[in-house]
Amino acid sequence: MSTSPENPERSLLAWARDRYPIAKFAEWAKHKTVPIGPGAFWYYFGGISLFLFLIQVGTGILLMFYYKGSVDTAFESVRFISAKVPFGWLVRSAHAWSANLMIFSVFIHMFSVFFMRAYRKPRELTWLSGIVLLALLLGFGFSGYLLPWNELAFFATKVGTDIIGVIPVIGDPIMYVLRGGEEVSGSTLPRFFALHVALFPALLTTFIVGHLFFIQLQGIHEPDAWTAHPEQRKTMPFFPHFFMRELLLWLITLNVLGVLAVFFPAELGIEADPFSSAPAGIKPEWYFLSTFEFLKYMPAHVGPLEGEEFGLALISIGFLGWCLVPWIDRGRNPLITRIVMVAGAAILVFLTIMTYLGHTA
Amino acid sequence: MMKVFAPALICVCVALSADVGADALPADAGAQDLPADAGAENLPGGQCLECHLTTEDQVGELWQDDVHARAGIACDACHGGDATQDDSDLAKQPGSGYRGVLSASEIALSCGGCHSDVEYMKTRKPLLPIDQLDKYRTSEHGKLLAKGETRVAQCASCHGAHGVREVNDAKSPVYASNVPATCGGCHGDVEYMRDFDIKTNQYDEYVQSVHGKALLEKNDVRGAPACNDCHGNHGAAPPSIDAITNICGTCHSYNAELFLGSPLAPAFKEKSLADCVACHGKHLITHVSEEWEGDKPGATCRKCHEEGEEGSDLALYFTETFGSIRQSFGEIEQLLGEAEVKGMDVTEGEDYVEAARQGLMQARTLMHAFSKPMMEEKVIEIAENQAAALKVGYAALRSLEDRRRGLAISTLLLLFLTLLVAVKIRTLPPLD
Repeated sequence: MSTSPENPERSLLAWARDRYPIAKFAEWAKHKTVPIGPGAFWYYFGGISLFLFLIQVGTGILLMFYYKGSVDTAFESVRFISAKVPFGWLVRSAHAWSANLMIFSVFIHMFSVFFMRAYRKPRELTWLSGIVLLALLLGFGFSGYLLPWNELAFFATKVGTDIIGVIPVIGDPIMYVLRGGEEVSGSTLPRFFALHVALFPALLTTFIVGHLFFIQLQGIHEPDAWTAHPEQRKTMPFFPHFFMRELLLWLITLNVLGVLAVFFPAELGIEADPFSSAPAGIKPEWYFLSTFEFLKYMPAHVGPLEGEEFGLALISIGFLGWCLVPWIDRGRNPLITRIVMVAGAAILVFLTIMTYLGHTA
Repeated sequence: MMKVFAPALICVCVALSADVGADALPADAGAQDLPADAGAENLPGGQCLECHLTTEDQVGELWQDDVHARAGIACDACHGGDATQDDSDLAKQPGSGYRGVLSASEIALSCGGCHSDVEYMKTRKPLLPIDQLDKYRTSEHGKLLAKGETRVAQCASCHGAHGVREVNDAKSPVYASNVPATCGGCHGDVEYMRDFDIKTNQYDEYVQSVHGKALLEKNDVRGAPACNDCHGNHGAAPPSIDAITNICGTCHSYNAELFLGSPLAPAFKEKSLADCVACHGKHLITHVSEEWEGDKPGATCRKCHEEGEEGSDLALYFTETFGSIRQSFGEIEQLLGEAEVKGMDVTEGEDYVEAARQGLMQARTLMHAFSKPMMEEKVIEIAENQAAALKVGYAALRSLEDRRRGLAISTLLLLFLTLLVAVKIRTLPPLD
């Protein structure tokens, strides 16, 4: 290969090759494959989630150029971003919509992994790191929702942190630390801002790296049937076949994001007033609606527990079971597998119904 | 300030007819000897209270919440008698100073005995005024009582006799929002007022007025005036024509200032017209409506000005100006509403609308100067704010078009890239 000054690109590549194992990486990438099966389409949602996360990072950084995270300035700064900053409305709307789409995409990714039983050995830690990522994303959403300091966000945060306070023993201290006091107030906003732009990004990046590392190390899960029938095994190269298809979906996602941002721009509402009474119909974001709605159906008391405590206990047990799925269903007993799959389907139906009921309530 | 002090003054309403001086008080009616530390649980009253708790006159029951009872003032301070006797005949026997049920004049005498006593009130309620008695003497009530008319209001008529409460106690009949009903209790009673030759519809009119609605419906006890805020409380009397502007001007100070500096003030004086009342009425003061303005028959200005006169022309100018401003508000709201529904941020426009509305409110006040140049200046300010709001609205709609155009271009670009990628995928080596 030429390293002549007449061909700077080639010379740069050669320069890098002299110093880094680029050839090894290229060789690895060349042989990296993705299984092609009936559920292959769902593999793309991991990549879409990653793409939306990158948009989040980009738009988030741009928003931070103008956002002022204190009670006196937060609302006005967001209003300024929406009304005055060139393309500020687009950046804010893209940030808000990509957050929602990302959580939706992650949910699809998680359930597709579940129903393809990709959580089984040796991918237990991939599954767990994925759940941590989802939890972090929900934390991202919860903390980011308050930042515009508008009325809806203020009271939704109050309701959300109230729910945390219901957790026995540790609930109250957590709620106190999150709020920066007894109530959601001016002290809460800087805390949520710090979580949103410092702690959660650091944790999320760490876990994304870990998640991707596990995937690269172990490869993408292949359909169970291939174990018995290796002749059915069919793959495609990651580069360029899978990558180009992923790129195609990223472009479509970007276009959908643009349409949503233009036709349904993020609203701001009215500024939060901690001393006013809560407006009717306060609801959390859609991804918390199922929990919110479920707790509403709890009776006042269940045995020695308050209704909400009991509801949270049920949710916690369900969440723990969800985390332990790789160890519950190890693929050794078809009956257990069937029970786990039915339970997963029931959870999906339950979340859908509760979200719908919460939305229409 | 008036709202705070007026009911406070009523608290110890003292009626004293001209022939009954404070110095005629019985020696034992003075309060200096009363215990100052009687607790609420140990109400003063002795044997009087023991009996009256069992009688049907509710005196004992009312006494439980009485401010005087809680201050340790016993029955004998007003009624005399010997509260240590458990036999009512012995308690009321001659020589005990028993005065029984007090007459209207005696009530004033009894209350005034303490409440006009500077030294005594210093030790009890130092912040409470002590001029109730003097004011009462100047009131219509006091004057009539001095003439022997006992049906007029005296202390107990408004404050109650044995259940007297603090003025800021919402259960007190002289609490701000209760004052209209207290006054209306007599003044709205056609039968009771028959011999006094005054109207009895004040209460009915008041409750429909802006003041009545603010006080009784919105419970604006600090801002909205009750009867006593205009008429006085202990010195209650119909305001004179000359005093009207000052009375209304207590709250509506700028309106009063503008009116007194306007060409209408001397004209009103010449014609003996009551300044504010001539246009706004007395008890039935309502919001100004479009019917008020203009030079049509029935409009307020036409009460004095004929069509074609300078005053009528000014009224017409006001009407057209305000009408135009109102119409513009309608257009602006429609425009901003349309932009907002389409997801555009128009809060800046709403700020301009709010500024214009403030301007309109100020313009309404400025009307009281009856000066076209002053009004024109304000109208320009309103028009500028309205124009700015319109500009925001139109800019928002234009921006929306730009956004959609931008989306269309970016969609085409993304579609092109998507097609390129799709073509590239098709040109990739086939899968195994």
